Amino acid sequence: MYYLGVDVGSVSTDLVLINENSNLVEKIYLRTKGNPIKAVQEGFKMLRKNYKDSEIAAAGTTGSGRLIAATIIGADAAKNEITAHATAALEIEKDVRTIIEIGGQDSKIIIINNGIVVDFAMNTVCAAGTGSFLDRQAERLDIPIEEFGDYALKATNSVRISGRCAVFAESDMIHKQQMGYNHSEIIRGLCDALVRNYLNNVGKGKTILPKVLFQGGVAANKGMKMAFENQLGFEVFVPENHSMMGAIGAAIIAKEKVKKTGITNFRGLTLAESNIVTRSFECEGCANKCEVVKIYENNNVMGYFGDRCTKWSNRLRENTKLA
Amino acid sequence: MIFFIVQFSRNPTANGVGVDLLKGGIMKIGIPKGLLYCKYHPFLTTFFTKLGCDVVISEDTNKNILDAGVKYCVDEACMPVKIFHGHVASIKDRCDILVIPRIMQLWKNEYICPKFCGLPEMVINSIDNLPPTISEPIYATSQKKLYNWAKAAGKYLGKSNNKVRLAFHSALNAQRDYEEGIFDKGYEVNVALIGHPYNIYDSFSNMNLVKKLNKLGVGIVTGEFTHEDTLRDVAKKLYKKPFWTFTRENYGFAINVAKEKIVDGIIYVSSFNCGPDSIIIELIKNSLPHFPFLILKIDEHTGEAGIDTRIEAFADMLERRTRIESNFSTHG
Repeated sequence: MYYLGVDVGSVSTDLVLINENSNLVEKIYLRTKGNPIKAVQEGFKMLRKNYKDSEIAAAGTTGSGRLIAATIIGADAAKNEITAHATAALEIEKDVRTIIEIGGQDSKIIIINNGIVVDFAMNTVCAAGTGSFLDRQAERLDIPIEEFGDYALKATNSVRISGRCAVFAESDMIHKQQMGYNHSEIIRGLCDALVRNYLNNVGKGKTILPKVLFQGGVAANKGMKMAFENQLGFEVFVPENHSMMGAIGAAIIAKEKVKKTGITNFRGLTLAESNIVTRSFECEGCANKCEVVKIYENNNVMGYFGDRCTKWSNRLRENTKLA
Repeated sequence: MIFFIVQFSRNPTANGVGVDLLKGGIMKIGIPKGLLYCKYHPFLTTFFTKLGCDVVISEDTNKNILDAGVKYCVDEACMPVKIFHGHVASIKDRCDILVIPRIMQLWKNEYICPKFCGLPEMVINSIDNLPPTISEPIYATSQKKLYNWAKAAGKYLGKSNNKVRLAFHSALNAQRDYEEGIFDKGYEVNVALIGHPYNIYDSFSNMNLVKKLNKLGVGIVTGEFTHEDTLRDVAKKLYKKPFWTFTRENYGFAINVAKEKIVDGIIYVSSFNCGPDSIIIELIKNSLPHFPFLILKIDEHTGEAGIDTRIEAFADMLERRTRIESNFSTHG
């Protein structure tokens, strides 16, 4: 039997299948491109080629799009990213003390003691130092994001760049570039700046002890790994499936949940063929005027989102009970 | 020395405008449900009701109010001040006189955020076509000083000294009888909810935080149940006496509630660009390096995913920590 984990993030949507021993058997990486539902359907289409519904015993979701994903796929668990990442990290490395996770719009630090999350922090509203920013800079310099890290490794010198704010960092980089510094040095400087910002901001007041796991999409960037190692003074480990850790965690959590309940809510991979559309409307029920999203599957209402009072989201739950 | 800023109206008359306006019937006093209304509404509403006025109170904060606030208010103000502007805008056409409490001091030798001292000016200069306002400074350091505000407001409305005195005492009693604060019982995991009162009690701006936490199985304790003397004693240990009242109170509460093990963690709700909070949060963190502490920054954006992730993860963490700690008596 397999267990499905779906991590719907701001930049990427990851799907994994794990087996009974929580080993990864399948991984799919897709760009969310602002349409989480389509991304999940796309992933299901790919899974359908090799797997049958009956082989999937549970499904879990995580990421900022976990609720919408959970509704459409019928997930057994929808967990926040902190818990999901910690679960996956502990599965591969029992002695992990610190998890550094940098994703598309979030960066997090998770402190673990004796296999328990004892502290965590996330970036505040600012997205400086996250994947989106690196993505944008790679695009601006016309360097594929996959090669970004190699450039940093090539540099012998690091150019000082302000990492406090993405807007300032960008103007700083442009300034340095116009003064003639080469791309490698600037990119290395950028990695150093982002790590500095991460440690001062997200990691403020936290004692970072080894063993450190570096997870999330940004961990693919070797320059970032090196910058962390230089500033922390010890080795930082990047798990083989660093970008899939959230999804793996969600799959493990779903597996554990279904082991307890004995039944899965998973609606099957046929979802790939469904015609899913969303429409939003402004609820006129009160002055809050919530923007409610209504999801249809093949013209049947599947779920509602975004209402503060849960008048709409509860409505469907009541209907399903009756049906 | 108290500055008596007689900044009563645009066209004050010797007898107050009350007499003129009353020709139309009972005077309607507008009270915006923003900022410290959540704390002092019994006093304000009782005072004006007992003076024989109709009290018009704005609705609970909602999207329209927030939108209006953002539209009218200067950009660099914090969200609670913007929301206050929105409340004013929503009732300005439904009242004859508007109350904008200029709360200066609650305790001797400490102050309320400077935005409160300048609140009436900010509002009057940002929103057009306002009715006359009562914006006399409020020094609540003693009953006598607070009475100065009542006298001035009463005079402005053309009320007799006797009537003002009676209304003032009823208002004080109403305030004393009012029990505020949250102290949940029966939850396995409990957190202290700390922050400026208007961030904690405005369920719109904090995105229903109290309900959400309860739903996650987390009980809530707020600062009102900690004795003033305790708050003061704790704050005395700081290298300098805090200048702002809420800074002192929040610091005292945080340290005490953690040391007394009343809760398993602390959630600090802070407006995005709040100056005093930026200091107090660091002070609390420094004093409680190993105590679970979550900061929620609230701002105009209404997307709830970010706040949900943080409180869910925090609740998960606390739940596991308490489970472990109750299984093994010693710490790891």
